Amino acid sequence: MNAPLLRARALTKRFGGLTAVADLDLEVHAGEILGVIGPNGAGKSTTFNMIAGATAPTAGSIDFDGAPIAGRPPHEIAARGIMRTFQHNQPFAGLSLAENVMVGMHTRFSAPLWKLIAGSRAAQRAERDARARAEALLDFVGLAEQRADDVGTLSFGQGRLLEIARGLAGEPRLMLFDEPAAGLTPAECERVAAIIRDIAARGIAVLLIEHDMRFLMALAERVAVLNFGRKIAEGAPAAVRADPAVLAAYLGSPAGDAHA
Amino acid sequence: MKGAALWIAAALALSAVAFVLGPYQTDIYRKLLLWITLALGYNFLFGISGQVAFSHFTFYGIGAYAIVILIFQAGLPLPLAAAAGVGLCVVLALAVAIPATRLDGFYLALATLAFAQLFVVVLNEGGAVTGGTGGLASYRLPPLFGARLDGPRYTVVIVLLLLATLAVLWRLDRSHFGRACRAVRDNPEAAAAMGIDVRRTRIAAYAITSALAGIAGMVYAFVDNTVNPPIFGLENAFLLLFMVIVGGSGSHAGAIVGAALLYLLPFVLSPLIGHHHALVFGVVMVLVVLFQPRGLVGLADARARRRAAP
Ligand SMILES: Nc1ncnc2c1ncn2[C@@H]1O[C@H](COP(=O)(O)OP(=O)(O)OP(=O)(O)O)[C@@H](O)[C@H]1O
Ligand SMILES: [Mg+2]
Repeated sequence: MNAPLLRARALTKRFGGLTAVADLDLEVHAGEILGVIGPNGAGKSTTFNMIAGATAPTAGSIDFDGAPIAGRPPHEIAARGIMRTFQHNQPFAGLSLAENVMVGMHTRFSAPLWKLIAGSRAAQRAERDARARAEALLDFVGLAEQRADDVGTLSFGQGRLLEIARGLAGEPRLMLFDEPAAGLTPAECERVAAIIRDIAARGIAVLLIEHDMRFLMALAERVAVLNFGRKIAEGAPAAVRADPAVLAAYLGSPAGDAHA
Repeated sequence: MKGAALWIAAALALSAVAFVLGPYQTDIYRKLLLWITLALGYNFLFGISGQVAFSHFTFYGIGAYAIVILIFQAGLPLPLAAAAGVGLCVVLALAVAIPATRLDGFYLALATLAFAQLFVVVLNEGGAVTGGTGGLASYRLPPLFGARLDGPRYTVVIVLLLLATLAVLWRLDRSHFGRACRAVRDNPEAAAAMGIDVRRTRIAAYAITSALAGIAGMVYAFVDNTVNPPIFGLENAFLLLFMVIVGGSGSHAGAIVGAALLYLLPFVLSPLIGHHHALVFGVVMVLVVLFQPRGLVGLADARARRRAAP
């Protein structure tokens, strides 16, 4: 098996006395969909935030494509090829849909400021190309009809699709989805599932947080289960679902008891 | 190419005005153009990049004093003095923004307030260099490449300053940099996740707009042919903020409308209600903030959209 694209080792995050993530190991390969599941407060989003650079780990290491990225700033991690969606939609309210998507391409622009001021032709061409790509991405996620709308008027599900388009715009090698299906209509869920499959088929690694077992089981090849910040199980969806520790966690009894 | 024709037409039209005005109107016209220039830059800083700073008018003062001091005390030729003045503005802007943006946006507001106050103190205490409370006077613009720029020709210089400022800001706004500025304004966390260096973007926007204010100040220095401290107090910094908010922050057109309206309003109101025009300003501000946060331009947009709707 080739080396994983992302490898987290002994990842730990403490907020004061609370350990949100403890000693977590994760590996994701190119083209693979790894599901991360767990009850509320299990530390899923915190794990994402550490990978994306939004928060620094208390301990542990994260290697992306062989390079250490733990504690690096988020813009640098995005430039390396890790893009994300947020659990709660975070659009740029003052920008059009296409511009929102174009922000996702930020690291692909190289013209320095003086060239922009001088009205460089190459920079203007890059801008036009980016707009065309943004329109194509809006088509791809199914927001073609909403393209002229104000971002504020989008439904929750449409906002989620916009975030996915914006993330893909950065041509990521690893895409992080934080509960992409939560709050979506069944039709929108289908759409998101199809998009995620399509992304993985293109060789992009996908790390997928989900609350909803059913959505995740249909997509992920491998699932890691978190509870109270610890990984309590990992493996194929069917095996994980039958794991007593997982059942215990989801039924609400303390994970420690289930292990014992 | 339609774009270029439009810019040239604007330059010709605005310049033509200069040749028909008497001395009193010329003074008002020139200052109107300067206020619009300042408001355009401040709009980029406040409205587009979303930073609350009170130093824009201070950089206008730094540019004005710098060019006078560098030419008439240091003896530099005009082009060199202008380049050094821009350099000074950029260095000072970085000195303010680099530490201030390390912290929350609130600290830039505080740091720039302090900086603005400090500048006035330095002007007053600057002895022979700044001319103290009386400022500097009795100087004249040296000929530039053999040509004397005075009268309507100097007004044309101000027209070109305005259009060049607008062109720079327009291009930046419509680039990935402008988009990054707006993204950082709307949601810094998401902007960072999209690969934008939030702090660097803020610092760049601050330095560029401060340098543009400094350049406008250099042009201003030869409008009155005197520079003195009272003009550069906080009152005008706040007026600039009002202009951008009333016109519609985030929009170039809003900055132009707001600057024109608030600069010209006192000329209309003063004969009617004397010094109470400040009160009218305050009331207009409060009404705009409460009822039309997108300013007069937002109001016009909303009306146009309502008419377009079936
Ligand atoms: N910035 C923070 N400061 C303090 N505690 C935090 C912070 N962020 C998260 N936590 C805590 O860390 C724990 C894990 O939170 P996290 O958001 O990672 O959970 P999650 O698995 O994503 O949950 P959910 O399914 O509800 O989204 C929770 O107890 C949460 O309250
Ligand atoms: Mg979460």
